[in-house]
Amino acid sequence: MVERYYLQLAEAEKAKRPVAYMLVGGNLTEIVRSFGYEVVFPEIVALNCAIKHKSLDNILQAEAQGYGLDVCGYVKNDLGLQSLGGDTPFGHIPKPDLLVCSFSGCYVYIKWWEALAETLGAPLFNFDVPYQRTEKPLKEDVEYMVAQLWDFIHLLEKQTGRSFDMAELKRVLERSRRAEELWVQYLDAGRNVPSPIEAYFEAVFYMFPINVLRGTEEAVRFYETVNQEVKVRLKEGNYPVPEEKVRLVVEGVPPYTNYRTFWDFFRKWGAVSVAATYPKVGGLFDLGFVHDPARPLESIAEYSLGAYVNQSWPLRRELIKKYVHDFQADAVLIHGIKSCRSFTAGQGDLRDWLIHETGTPTLYLESDHEDPRYFAPAQIKNRMDAFFESLEQRKSTAAAGAAAVSGVRVS
Amino acid sequence: MKAAAGIDVGSTTAKCVILRDGELLGKSLNPVGVNIVRDAEEALRLALVDARLDRSEVAFVTGTGYGRYKIAFGQLTVTEISCHARGAHFLFPRTRLVIDIGGQDTKAIRVNERGEVADFAMNDKCAAGTGRFLDVCAGALGYDVAEIGPLSLEARHPVKVTSTCTVFAESEVTSHVSRGKDPKDILAGLHASIANRSLSLLQRVGIEPEVTFTGGVSRNEGMVRALSGRLRMPINVSPLSQYMGAIGAALAGADRLRGGTAS
Repeated sequence: MVERYYLQLAEAEKAKRPVAYMLVGGNLTEIVRSFGYEVVFPEIVALNCAIKHKSLDNILQAEAQGYGLDVCGYVKNDLGLQSLGGDTPFGHIPKPDLLVCSFSGCYVYIKWWEALAETLGAPLFNFDVPYQRTEKPLKEDVEYMVAQLWDFIHLLEKQTGRSFDMAELKRVLERSRRAEELWVQYLDAGRNVPSPIEAYFEAVFYMFPINVLRGTEEAVRFYETVNQEVKVRLKEGNYPVPEEKVRLVVEGVPPYTNYRTFWDFFRKWGAVSVAATYPKVGGLFDLGFVHDPARPLESIAEYSLGAYVNQSWPLRRELIKKYVHDFQADAVLIHGIKSCRSFTAGQGDLRDWLIHETGTPTLYLESDHEDPRYFAPAQIKNRMDAFFESLEQRKSTAAAGAAAVSGVRVS
Repeated sequence: MKAAAGIDVGSTTAKCVILRDGELLGKSLNPVGVNIVRDAEEALRLALVDARLDRSEVAFVTGTGYGRYKIAFGQLTVTEISCHARGAHFLFPRTRLVIDIGGQDTKAIRVNERGEVADFAMNDKCAAGTGRFLDVCAGALGYDVAEIGPLSLEARHPVKVTSTCTVFAESEVTSHVSRGKDPKDILAGLHASIANRSLSLLQRVGIEPEVTFTGGVSRNEGMVRALSGRLRMPINVSPLSQYMGAIGAALAGADRLRGGTAS
């Protein structure tokens, strides 16, 4: 499915299909697709480069152009890749006909899109998404965004020469809604003990359709298949690790450059992520931020407001606390990335809050999602080993205490 | 009961301790080179000589430290974080906070009343504010690292050293020397800068007495004074502080020998 997507992108220029670049958080895929655009997500291209161990070449190219060490790895991967011609191990990335900056919570992202507009000459639409500071979206925020969506629709009409087709948008949104419900159903499987899913490492693979192919039948079919598989796993007792010992909630962007290595550090201890925030960067569908064909533009606006990184810190930390409770997690693991302040800033305080205010054992680790130079395996492993050792120790002490009370001998 | 050995292979030294029924029978310390397996074996051999024991009398070997996975002849590996907590609690049972400053990293470990790790924090990926930092700065001033602690205590007007970066501090030291500052005052400034950096790490896990100082840098009395002054409380230091990781490892092994729960 991923290969087919990139193949279709590679052929877009030759087939003269218009191409829009968009960001994952709160994206406007449905509207753009209803006008016949192919959609490129440079963040996803960048993480695919990182997982294929190709991101450093692009990053070094961007640094040679003057982008500093502290600039986001996604940004440098994309700008370096553009400068090197756009060829990746998974296909050619076409140039944009339109740039849609759909997440304004990160100032660096706005500058990234401006740099692309300047170097590639494509028109730029900045979708200004107010920060989500209340549990439910505010009416005035939604109205402000719907007004912008109409501006956006008029821009698309002008660029494509096509008239906006509300009926078509509603059809696309209906498919989105179905995929979203199925995705939430998959994520909810983490509530089972033991969990039949890995809600971080596995879910990151499975979030591709919900972010990239939303609004297509293909995405709906994918999640139907996944959920069937989860049912079989539950029936057969086929779990992510043979013996689930630690249930984790994971917060933060994964180190894509060392994805398997990082995952192995969890597996060694029988640790399974039962809930995670990162697979929800595309949308907090489990909190009800789903698309609704009956309220097309309003539901798109609400969905964009509800993107995980657009949430205020008090909302984010309460959500994590709720996941710990609802998914019966033993601990929280936070992976901060040097690249992204909008995701990572505040995670140190989150760690302290979880430990001191909620009594949840929490580990904070730091590396990067794109730049392999920031991943120090020995040090990360050492911290994780020590953390899991202490969790194991607590469990065995608690078990011994319980046994002493009941008179059972623990060996 | 047979004895248990703990071997702590760190970035600069390998330490080995042999315990039986809570009694320390022997210990050793030797430098670490490129052959970690040989260095760990040598540490055990030297500790056996010190304990006047035959290898067959040691029933359990536990490895800790960054080189623990190379100790193939051992039966268990435990991180040095758990081991320092355990070792510090063994020597000072009222310990609630451990500060371990080794060759390449600094750890703040909060421990509970049973000596188990409740929380921990470590320095960033560089060697800022660690033993290596003091090595480099001692070298820049022409001293052996063993000399600088006592000398720093003789300072009259400690200078302010702003950098804890091992590389930048060396040039900062050179700059103070070129301005005619007394090396003792520079040394006091260096120790204070590490104490400040350690304090922020300790604050992250929560400062609670008693505080026990472990790792190679705990042998440096200037560092003990600087840290104690910054914390405004006395800190526990033992002549065995450098062996704390190895002691914790040996205790974890002794647990296994008893058939109880091991770390």
